[in-house]
Amino acid sequence: MSKLAKCSVTLLLFLYAIQGKAHTSEQGFVLLLPTDVYISAGVVAVALTVLILAILPSHIITAIHTEKNLFHLPRSSSLSRYTSLLSFIALLALLIVGFNGPHDPTKNMLPLYIWTIWWIAFVCLQATFGNLWHWVNPWAGVYTLLPSTRIQQSISLKLPEHTGVWPAVIIYIVFSLFALADPAPEDPVRLAIVVSGYWTFTLMGMLLFGGSSWLQRCECFTVLLNQMARLSAIGTNKNRVSIGLPGWQLFSKPIDSSSIAFFLLTLLAIGSFDGFNETFYWLEIIGVNPLNFPGRSAVVNQTTGGLLVSVSLLVSCFALCIWIGVFLANRQHIEKVSFKTSFTYLSASLLPIAIAYHFAHFLTAFLVNYQYAFVATTDPFHDGRDLLGLGRYYVSTGFLNTPSTVKKIWLTQAAAVVIGHVLSVILAHSIAARLWKNTNRALLSQVPLALFMIFYTLLGLWLLAAPRGA
Amino acid sequence: MNDTKEPVSQEKRRRALKTLALGAGTLAASGTLPGQMGHSQAQSAEPIRIGFQVHRTGIGASYGRWYDRTTEACVKKINAEGGINGRPIEIVAEDDGTDPKRGAEVVEKFASQHKVDVSFGTLFSHVVYGSAPRAGELKMPYFVVSEGHHVASGNLNRYTLQPGITDVKSQVQAMAPFIAENLGKKVTMIFPDFAFGHDHRDYFTQAFEAQGGTILEKIAIPPTETSFTKYFPKIPRDTEVIYHVMVGPAVLTFVKELGEFFGPSRPEIFGFIDSLEAVDMASPGLEFLEDTYFWEGYPRYAQQDQSEFDKAYREAVGVDNNGASISDSKDISTYAHMFGCWETLHVIKAGMEAAEYKTTADRSKLIEAVEAMSDMPHSFEHPQGAKIFNGKTHQTFGHQYISQLKGGKLELAHTTSIEDTLYDDETDYTQQSF
Repeated sequence: MSKLAKCSVTLLLFLYAIQGKAHTSEQGFVLLLPTDVYISAGVVAVALTVLILAILPSHIITAIHTEKNLFHLPRSSSLSRYTSLLSFIALLALLIVGFNGPHDPTKNMLPLYIWTIWWIAFVCLQATFGNLWHWVNPWAGVYTLLPSTRIQQSISLKLPEHTGVWPAVIIYIVFSLFALADPAPEDPVRLAIVVSGYWTFTLMGMLLFGGSSWLQRCECFTVLLNQMARLSAIGTNKNRVSIGLPGWQLFSKPIDSSSIAFFLLTLLAIGSFDGFNETFYWLEIIGVNPLNFPGRSAVVNQTTGGLLVSVSLLVSCFALCIWIGVFLANRQHIEKVSFKTSFTYLSASLLPIAIAYHFAHFLTAFLVNYQYAFVATTDPFHDGRDLLGLGRYYVSTGFLNTPSTVKKIWLTQAAAVVIGHVLSVILAHSIAARLWKNTNRALLSQVPLALFMIFYTLLGLWLLAAPRGA
Repeated sequence: MNDTKEPVSQEKRRRALKTLALGAGTLAASGTLPGQMGHSQAQSAEPIRIGFQVHRTGIGASYGRWYDRTTEACVKKINAEGGINGRPIEIVAEDDGTDPKRGAEVVEKFASQHKVDVSFGTLFSHVVYGSAPRAGELKMPYFVVSEGHHVASGNLNRYTLQPGITDVKSQVQAMAPFIAENLGKKVTMIFPDFAFGHDHRDYFTQAFEAQGGTILEKIAIPPTETSFTKYFPKIPRDTEVIYHVMVGPAVLTFVKELGEFFGPSRPEIFGFIDSLEAVDMASPGLEFLEDTYFWEGYPRYAQQDQSEFDKAYREAVGVDNNGASISDSKDISTYAHMFGCWETLHVIKAGMEAAEYKTTADRSKLIEAVEAMSDMPHSFEHPQGAKIFNGKTHQTFGHQYISQLKGGKLELAHTTSIEDTLYDDETDYTQQSF
C-alpha cells in the first residue's frame, strides 16, 4: 500500500468506527465470522446504488422523495404542554433517584434512563416515528407556567440572527466531551448534577432569550432531535400526515444554514469517533495496551484531542468532496451553484448515516442495559422493592456468548450501516438533482461525495469487525 | 485461626446450607443456628457498612457483574444467619470504571462520604495498585479479590489484605509439578507481552526449572496482535507442552489458528482459564482444545464428587452445574474468580467477630484479627476449598485445580496440595505500624 493510501486509510479510520461496549466473547466470535465477505457485500450494495442512480434521469430521482398524503390531523391542542410537564416530573423523579439512590450506575435509574432509554433508544424512536421530542421535552411545559413574557420584556435580550445554531454546536461538543472523555459520566450523582445543571441552564436561556429561540438554536438536543425527526418516513406538515422515503421531509424545509450543516457534521464525526476510541487501532496510536486499558482517567486528553480532531477532519473531508463536486459541475457553465449552498444543502444527506451509526454503535449496549433499567425500575432505591413484580431476575449477557446471536446482532448492525449509507446516497443525489437542475451536472457534482460514502461504508463495516480494548 | 463460627452437627449444617442457599433464612431467624443472633434482631441493629469497589464499567465489567452477584448472594446469606455481631451487612457499591485513579477516589468516597467500616472487592491489579495507597493513608481496611501478587510482594500496606483468593505466583508455581510429571519436561510458553504475561513467564520458568524441566522458547505476543500464525513456526519441534495464557478478544482466533497449525498431531497443551473465563467451552472453534488442560481457580463444572458446599454455593449465587446462570444457560459466570468475594466477606465477618468490632476505631483490631487467622477449612464459607492464610504477607494460599476439556466440559484431573502453592515470605506487614 502506498504512503498516500495508508494515510487515507488512517484518516478515514479516524473518522469512522462502529462499536458497542466491549465484551470479550462477543468480540471473539465476531473475529471468527467471515466479516470480509459481509463487508464486501455491503460495499457492493452501496456502490450499486450509486451506479443505478447514475443512470436514472433526474426527474425520477427528484420524484423518489415525493411524499404521499395520508390524512389530516385536527388542530393541535395544548396537550403537549401537559405531556411536557409530565416529562419534567419524570425527570425530577429520576434526579431524586440519581442523587439519593444506589451509587452503582447499573442499579440507579438515572444513568440507565438517560444513557440507555433516552440517548440510545429515544433518539432512534425519534428518527423512526417523528417528532416525539415535541411532546416530552422537559422544558416547554414548565416554561409556560412561568411569567416568561414579562421576564423577556423586562430584560429584552435577543439572540443575534447570525449566531445560527452555533451555540448548539458548542454545547453539543461539550456534552460529547462529558460522554466520551469524562472519567465517570455514568456515576449517578455526577450525572444528576450535570443533568439538573443543564436543565436549569436551558430554562434560564429560554427565559432570557425566548423559549422557542433558545430551544431551536442553543439547546443541542432539540436541534439534534428535530433533525432526526425529519428522517422519519411519516411526518406532518400543516396538520397533514404524509408518508415517503426517509428524507422526504428534508425537502419541505431544506437545510439552508451553514451552522446546521456544521452541527450535522459534528454529530457524525463525534458519533464516528465514539467507538473508534475503543479500538486496538486508536489505542495503539495513543500508546495504550488494549489488553490492560489504564482507565478513562488516563486518556482524557487523548480522547478530547481525538474528538476535536475528528470533527475537523470530517468537516475538511466533506468540504473537499463538495468543493471538487462543485468545481466539476460548475465548469463551463454560466449558472453556477456556490460552494456554500452545496455544502449546506448536501450536509443533510449525512443524517441517515448518523442515525444508522447511532443504532449500530449502541445496539449491544442497549440489549444489556435495558435489562438493568427494568431491574432498577422495579427497585429504584435498591432496598428490596419489586414494583414491577419481576421476582428473582438476573440480567443476562448470554446472547453475547452465543455465536448464532452474535452473528445476528453483527449482521443487524451491518445492515443498519449499509441501509443508512444507501439512504444517504439516494438523498445526496436527490438534493443534487434539485440544486443543479441538470442530470449531468448533478451527477458530476456527486462523484466525489459518492466515492466518499462508498469508502465510508467500507471503513464503517470494517471497524464494526475490529477488535476493541477499552 | 479458623472462622469463628461454632461447630454444628453435619445434619444441622446440611439443613442450614439448604435453607440458607434458598435465601429463606428462617432457620437463622428463629435462632436455630448456634452462636448467631436472630435475623430480625440483626435487621434492627445499626448495619456494618462495607464499601464494595466494583468494576461496573470499563474492561473489568464482565467480571464486575458476577462479583456483584456473588456479593449480593453472600450478604443475603450472612444477614439471614444474623449478620456480623448481630448487625446486618449493608453493601455500598461504587463503580470504579476499572480505572486506577477512580479507584483511589472511590476509596476516598467510602471513607469521607459513605463512612463505611471496611472496603473490599477490587479485582484488576492496576486498580488495586491505584487504590491501596489511599486506603493505607485513610487507615481503611481494604480487602482485595484480585489474584495479583502485589499484596504478598510487600508492595502495598498493612491495611491491604487478600484473604479470599490465591495469588498468581502461587497458582502458576503449583502447576509446575503436574506438568513436569504428566505432560512433559520441554515447554514452550506463549503469552501476551505485558505484565500479566510476564508474571506467568517468570513464575512458571522458575518453578518449572526447579522441577527439572526446560523452557525451550518464550514467545511474547504483542497485545495488539489479532492473528498468530506467524508466531507458531517459532515453536521448537521438540516441544512437549505448550503453555498458553493469551487473553483478550483474539483468544478464540488464537485457538483456531493453533489448531490449524498443528492439525491432529499436537503437543500437550496447558492453559489458564483466564483466557476463556465466561466463555462457553462448547463454543465452536474450541474443539481443538479437547483433551487439553486448564488451570481453574474453582472448577466451573460441578464434578462427580461435588461437595455439599459447592452445591449450596451454586444455589445461592444462582449458577447451574455448568457454571452458567440458572436463568440463562448461555450466560457463563466468572466461576474461577468470583468465589473470592464470597470467601472474603466471610473472612471479614470472622475477623469482625473475633475482634468484637464495633466502630471504625476497631479497624486495627480487625486487621490484627485477620492477621491472626491461619487455617480456613473447606466449608460453606470457603466452598472453593481449604486455605491457609499467611498473616505476615496478608495473602491466602489454597488448592489449585487442573481440569481437562472432555466433550466440551472441564473435568477435574488434579487438585494440587496447598503446600505446592507456598513460597518464601517476601514481606511482613505485621511489622508496619498502624
